[in-house]
Amino acid sequence: MPLQQGSARVRQRTVLLLGIVVLLAALVLAVVLASLLTHGRHEDGPKMLKWKDRGTTKNLQEVVLGRCYNYITAQHPELGDKDCLKIWESLKDAFIYKNPCNITPEDYQPLMELASHPIPCNKSLFWSKTGDLVHRYTKSNQNFLTLEDTLLGYMADRISWCGDPSAPGINYESCPKRNECESNPSSVFWKMASKMFAEAACGVVQVMLNGSVEAGAFRSSSIFGSVEIFNLNPDKVSEVHIWLMQDIGGPQSESCSGHSIQRLISILEERNFKIICEDNYRPVQLLQCVHNPDHTDCRLCTNST
Amino acid sequence: KWKGEGTTQNLESIVIGRCYDYIRIVNPSVGEKNCSQIWEAFKNAFINKDPCSILPEDYELFINLTFHTIPPNKSLFWENNQLLVNSFADRGRRYMSLGDTLFGFVGDFLNWCGQADSPGLDYESCPTTTECENNAVESFWRMLSIIYAKHSSGVIHVLLNGSAAGGAYPQPGFFADYEIPNLQKDKISQIVIWVVDDIEGPDIDSCGAHSVKTLETRLTALGYDVTCTDNDK
Repeated sequence: MPLQQGSARVRQRTVLLLGIVVLLAALVLAVVLASLLTHGRHEDGPKMLKWKDRGTTKNLQEVVLGRCYNYITAQHPELGDKDCLKIWESLKDAFIYKNPCNITPEDYQPLMELASHPIPCNKSLFWSKTGDLVHRYTKSNQNFLTLEDTLLGYMADRISWCGDPSAPGINYESCPKRNECESNPSSVFWKMASKMFAEAACGVVQVMLNGSVEAGAFRSSSIFGSVEIFNLNPDKVSEVHIWLMQDIGGPQSESCSGHSIQRLISILEERNFKIICEDNYRPVQLLQCVHNPDHTDCRLCTNST
Repeated sequence: KWKGEGTTQNLESIVIGRCYDYIRIVNPSVGEKNCSQIWEAFKNAFINKDPCSILPEDYELFINLTFHTIPPNKSLFWENNQLLVNSFADRGRRYMSLGDTLFGFVGDFLNWCGQADSPGLDYESCPTTTECENNAVESFWRMLSIIYAKHSSGVIHVLLNGSAAGGAYPQPGFFADYEIPNLQKDKISQIVIWVVDDIEGPDIDSCGAHSVKTLETRLTALGYDVTCTDNDK
């Protein structure tokens, strides 16, 4: 009798256990399915366009605002009337929620107007393929200003930005490269800012070109060659001084008598500018020599007083 | 009220902006930092206090939050030649001067002070070091100079101005009073001094002469391997 009762209880327990196992399995399955489904939804998620260049700089607002205040407060107090918040808003409005291949100069017009300021005559310094050297020079000699030493250029230097039609309107993952589409936020910005920088120049202007570049010191495809030289105003600008810098100990691909320089000179002369070209302009070369003191080109003059 | 310029306008935006500029663009290798927290630590060092009672140690939390190592052989000390140092150091790529560290970068060229019994910054005026030594800006740079010297290693470089009136090696001065005493002898292999005159400037001081000789003697007596070069080309 007890055996029969025992085996019935065992059967009951087995059924109970099986039931629990089945319930647990069903629960686990449900959880797995749920997570797969939501994960899948996340992958479809924000439908931002994907590009080949780096995305918008993180903390763009803080960086741009900080640079604006830094420029007008700590460096150029004569620009004290500039409203940095408005300037930031106008930059943001230029690209936020827009397709980054559809940017136009009109998008940047409010920003350009708010942030532009006059440039003293004889101080404009243009450059092409000499970015490092030219900015080291203006850092140590504040008699010259490149575009990146003006408020607009200073705020935008080395950062990137682009928008996207879907929320939050700014793409931090990627931005279009120039070869993906020309009307991207960065290219349109720099083209416009360069045009205005050239238009604002007066008196004697300077340009630092690279005589160690194989493709030639002056290129029609560069911003200098395609935008800036054509926006210099002959009524305001009297002379253009070319500083042709070769790398110390580097290839001497071109000098003032070179082909591309001759082409540049003829374009400028046609627009009635007087041109002076100097190979390895000494004050800039001295800066290059700081890092190559033992090179023969860096010997001090032996017959100086 | 005080003889010095007041706090720089928009100080908070400038400091926070520079902090992000540094970690995102200038030197992302220092990693992620909380720039709002850094601003708070900076501000709390000097607000609500008598502006003549700020000590270097008050900036300790700020230093803890902004600290990063200085690569060996990259330290560049200097006196009286900030523009030259900036272009020489090449924005931290060739050398890392104090102004190229995160902690120095956020405060460079700025001015600030607070007032007792008020959380506000004083935009009207701030005490000069002549009025009182323990002011917010002076203590900031003293603290940073100490930290910078303590964490410098390998070959260290010193850039002095041979055209400076009063001598290339100023005493008192930050290098003399806060940096040399905090150099870690066991971490430093050599001290290289460069004396550079202003272009077309007077040649007032040079290696082996006047104040530079004083510096060379002091460093040699401390046991350092010292070399000195004039008019670095």
